[in-house]
Amino acid sequence: MPLLKIDDREIEVAAGTTVLDAALANDIEIPHYCYHPVLEIVGSCRMCMVEIEGMPKLQVSCNTRIGNALPDRKVDGMYDMVVSTKSDIVKRARENTLEFLLLNHPLDCPVCDQAGECFLQDYSFRYGRAHSRFEDEKRVRPAEDLGAGVVINQNRCIMCTRCVRFTREISGTGELFVQQRGNSTKISILEDKPLDNLLAGNVTDICPVGALLSKDYIHRNRIWNLDRQPSVCQECSVGCNVDIYHKNGKVFRTSARENLDVNGYFICDTGRYSYHDYEAVERVTSPMIRKDKKWQKISWDGAFKEIFEKLGRKKEGDSNNVAGIFSPFHTSEANFMFARLMQNVFKERAVIGTLPLPKEEEKKFPGGFRISGDCSPNWRGLTEVSSYIYEDIFNELKKQKIKLMYALDDGVNRELTQEWKDLLRNLDFLVVQTYAMTPLAERAHLLLPGAAPLEREGTLMNDSGRIQWLRPVIPLKGSSRPDWKIVMEVMNTVGKRELDYSHVNEVLAEMNERIPAYEGVTFFKLGESGMSINEEARES
Amino acid sequence: MATIVKSYEPTFWDRLYIPALVKGLMVTIRHIFKKKVTIQYPDEKHIPPEGYRGLHRLNKFDDGRIKCVACEMCAAACPSHCIHIVPDASPWEEGKERYPVRFDIDLLRCIYCGFCEMACPEEAIELTEIYDFADYTRESFLIDKDGLLEVYEMTKDENFYLREKENAA
Ligand code: SF4
Ligand code: SF4
Ligand code: SF4
Ligand code: SF4
Ligand code: FES
Repeated sequence: MPLLKIDDREIEVAAGTTVLDAALANDIEIPHYCYHPVLEIVGSCRMCMVEIEGMPKLQVSCNTRIGNALPDRKVDGMYDMVVSTKSDIVKRARENTLEFLLLNHPLDCPVCDQAGECFLQDYSFRYGRAHSRFEDEKRVRPAEDLGAGVVINQNRCIMCTRCVRFTREISGTGELFVQQRGNSTKISILEDKPLDNLLAGNVTDICPVGALLSKDYIHRNRIWNLDRQPSVCQECSVGCNVDIYHKNGKVFRTSARENLDVNGYFICDTGRYSYHDYEAVERVTSPMIRKDKKWQKISWDGAFKEIFEKLGRKKEGDSNNVAGIFSPFHTSEANFMFARLMQNVFKERAVIGTLPLPKEEEKKFPGGFRISGDCSPNWRGLTEVSSYIYEDIFNELKKQKIKLMYALDDGVNRELTQEWKDLLRNLDFLVVQTYAMTPLAERAHLLLPGAAPLEREGTLMNDSGRIQWLRPVIPLKGSSRPDWKIVMEVMNTVGKRELDYSHVNEVLAEMNERIPAYEGVTFFKLGESGMSINEEARES
Repeated sequence: MATIVKSYEPTFWDRLYIPALVKGLMVTIRHIFKKKVTIQYPDEKHIPPEGYRGLHRLNKFDDGRIKCVACEMCAAACPSHCIHIVPDASPWEEGKERYPVRFDIDLLRCIYCGFCEMACPEEAIELTEIYDFADYTRESFLIDKDGLLEVYEMTKDENFYLREKENAA
């Protein structure tokens, strides 16, 4: 393998690695704009210049590959390449590049939403010259709407073309292109073909400056005011890793978090803007019972007592069985507790299944990004924690003439078919554990307020069997409780158990014992990137 | 290290007390003939020196629009975290694209350090010479955007207290 000397460090790299990749992998910083790990290398921004011994001019590190030098051509008799990233000439080159990039740049950081996470700011601060020698008028161009909720501030663009390559290589839609040349160059769309694809929001993430901005976040806050919570998207069974930025219980934006085993560097727009949907629903925040067609608030104790009276007593006849509705939208922990409730408390009276699941067509993009057709985040985890499940429980309910039902609601505002409506109307007692007033919840006799998607904590297993840590972003609203806890308390009341888990990790510890797929899984080990159930390393 | 304090035995003269009394009276009498330094506040007001840091104001452009662009640099610089800003896209077509919908300062937390003024890239926030804004409730010390703009109207011409004096006369 070639031996690379970079500044004072000696690194062995695989032949063909670029200098920039080798440096970044070894925590050596080389400033760069146009390079992005999954996009084609164009070497156009000239920010990543380094000095390479034996080469007369500076080279762009992103497009210079390291190979095996002939034995008699090795530097100092041993190095295949000697790179300097800190020499004076490199520093000067960076200063000059930045000065050029800033020629027409408005430097309106006070009104720019990128400020605080802008590579132009950071690099100017670290590598730039403090003043500009440009004396003419700056070029000023209006902002434009590119479609799909993305606007471009042409003045701030540094022409790295990351966005253009993204639409060509990753989304495969190719809406963006470089128009004109020289001083008039700009990023454009065709008039009749605006940005329109489900990955469009990612261009605002990969733009290294504040040129491409999401209308959703523009002028809403400043990035340093917000708290970042690494989380998992709950809009489909891929389970993309996201960062959710929030402040005082309010979410301001979602952006992609890098995880090469799951989503790479991107997320889809459905997930990116999904937090609005969670905000838009009518929330259920305290236990409620239906009395004379009206909802009345009751205490938690009252609610549990009601469940005990309605579900706990064995009556004669075929209406005695209890239907338990699992939800692939809930964490594995909630479903695990629910499975225990069904198996250990209701035992042979239990009939378990799910509601009909919303399904869409799976979408695949040329860059390898996938949006699953299964819109629930945890179907696989659900099947792991509960042994046998009717995927659509309807026929079974009908056949057995079920009169009692306890449902974990998924919060999806799905239209119920007439058949379902009739069936629900004929139930004697329907408990719905939910965070939102869904069509199912509206037909309940008793509502138990659970956690909303961004309030949940636990694990989700995506469709390729990766267990990931879903962390709560905002606090629970009103008197709602975590779903696993509610189920635990129902077990205690109805089944006369004395379970007393105080935190979800105790439930996970219990799952370690009972669920093979969850053996050895802890939140600590899951960390930010999760672990696969097939992972060899887990055994050791 | 212990300090040894010798007790002082008063002499006969000391015990008379009269010399000390006279000495004190002399100081008083001397000051009667000197220039007075006391200010008869609130009838008369102290005029603070240049650069005095008092109540904040938010500056306006000549056309009446607020200068602040809600960049929150002042809030970031503020050591007592007493500035709270809610930004939004500005309603006007021309000019800055961002402005504060709300701009609140907790005057009781503020330590009048002037960092906000120094941090502001738009010269939008300034500390004025106004120092007498005492009140009876805590709530009245929460000044909002309108309040801050009002302070600008009060102080946009220089020498607030001099003018006040002239107006009173
Ligand atoms: S793109 Fe960066 S440098 Fe330019 S105005 Fe925005 S924050 Fe400032
Ligand atoms: S808009 Fe952003 S990503 Fe696109 S070329 Fe300009 S700076 Fe690069
Ligand atoms: S004067 Fe100092 S403490 Fe007061 S608001 Fe400004 S920065 Fe904050
Ligand atoms: S007063 Fe100045 S520093 Fe503060 S938000 Fe407004 S423009 Fe920014
Ligand atoms: S990152 Fe190498 S030239 Fe742009």
